[in-house]
Amino acid sequence: MGASSSRRRRDDYYPPPPHYTSYPPPPPPPPHHHHHHHHPPPPPPHHRAPPPPPPPAASSYYYHPHPPPPHAYHGPWHPAPAPPPPLQQPQPPALTGPPPEYVEHQQAQKVKNYVNLHKDTIRLEPDGADPDRRLVAFTFDAVTDGRVTIYYFAKEGKDCSFSSVYPELQTLTKIPFQKGLAQRFIQPSGSGVDLGFFSLDELSNPSGEVYPLVVYAEAYPSPEEGGSSVNSTRAQITLAVLEKHNNDLRVKVIKQILWIDGVRYELQEIFGLVNSTEADVADADADDMGKECVICLTEPRDTAVMPCRHLCLCSECAKTLRFQSNKCPICRQPVEKLMEIKVRSPEP
Amino acid sequence: MANSNLPRRIIKETQRLLSEPAPGISASPSEENMRYFNVMILGPSQSPYEGGVFKLELFLPEEYPMAPPKVRFLTKIYHPNIDKLGRICLDILKDKWSPALQIRTVLLSIQALLSAPNPDDPLADNVAKHWKANETEAVETAKEWTRVYASGA
Ligand SMILES: [Zn+2]
Ligand SMILES: [Zn+2]
Repeated sequence: MGASSSRRRRDDYYPPPPHYTSYPPPPPPPPHHHHHHHHPPPPPPHHRAPPPPPPPAASSYYYHPHPPPPHAYHGPWHPAPAPPPPLQQPQPPALTGPPPEYVEHQQAQKVKNYVNLHKDTIRLEPDGADPDRRLVAFTFDAVTDGRVTIYYFAKEGKDCSFSSVYPELQTLTKIPFQKGLAQRFIQPSGSGVDLGFFSLDELSNPSGEVYPLVVYAEAYPSPEEGGSSVNSTRAQITLAVLEKHNNDLRVKVIKQILWIDGVRYELQEIFGLVNSTEADVADADADDMGKECVICLTEPRDTAVMPCRHLCLCSECAKTLRFQSNKCPICRQPVEKLMEIKVRSPEP
Repeated sequence: MANSNLPRRIIKETQRLLSEPAPGISASPSEENMRYFNVMILGPSQSPYEGGVFKLELFLPEEYPMAPPKVRFLTKIYHPNIDKLGRICLDILKDKWSPALQIRTVLLSIQALLSAPNPDDPLADNVAKHWKANETEAVETAKEWTRVYASGA
């Protein structure tokens, strides 16, 4: 299934350099209103409203309550680095007046993913045999057999390989798993690391592209499952930092990377990109609120506001917006650019 | 008449307002001008406006939804953030407007404003002073006005 499209895509995109700038983490849910204390005399001063109901579909679709099936991501995986996407329009000539934000056209594709770690489920659990050591645990889906490698303080190298900057910290082992959905993974007792030696700063910052926790989950399909040629690695890599929470360490995922047949994809979360079934399940009351452009309430949403990544506009309204407002309709953050997304399903 | 070029957005919002009205709120467009709405908001329970029926007018300007709707109370109301012309001091009707907001959200916000008067950010100065100096008495006045002017006749 995924093989043919991946192969085709390999021709379209070049493998990335080892270090790739990550997208900023998603902003917190939008504050709905702000104080403003200046009271210009003649026109009525502005009153801070009691919290109005949130703008439609802002909060309901921040996080998908139902994990997508393992074979398709609904957040678009963008091949990285982005060479000019095939449909990119030439930059329009400079217009008079303030430069409007430009619209970037992006092709989003669904990429077949063999292993999917549910990023909201990663925890550090004390090792019963040695409570100072922590074991990484999470839930994942796998459509083939495979193996997991856990790295601490790891850096990305060539071809999505990872290595620890403290190699003496652990002996690397590849922990095998079998295919199956919603499986629980826990690192074997004794293979965890005592993180008490590290400063909070070290744990919570991906400084110099060193991530405190990296989970490399790799499909190892048998030949009949499509695992064929020598260099066909299919991995999902989860990069995380650790944050202190009530005297405990909590895992916070910064990004996930897909490394499939020599192409690196980075998950870019676009808020609002849901498929219809999920939208229906998530909030039946909001009926079609999750799918329509918030401005015309008519056309499908296909344009995201950057950098806040609210997918809330259709391309037509996006054009209007960029001349009339510089704020995201959902969170009111300034608009730097608009990104039009065309979702293209992989060929069968 | 002037309704031929009504944007789809306004048609959709109107349909939804009519088919699924928010509790305590009704809004129906005028036949002559589909951008003009007759609005009624019931005074929220536990507020000095409980039992009152408040009439408002709402108008969608040409630039809507890039610009906020214009809303005004037609029923007299004793409220620190609503002046005697019925003008409302509400941030989302001004600088905090967003095109993702709708008629429904605006009216819900106004309803919420009735539940939570804010004399620290007043529009009607004397009402706000009264509210701050003697809240019990101001609330009594608001109740009285509700009985007199908003009895739903
Ligand atoms: Zn639109
Ligand atoms: Zn936004």
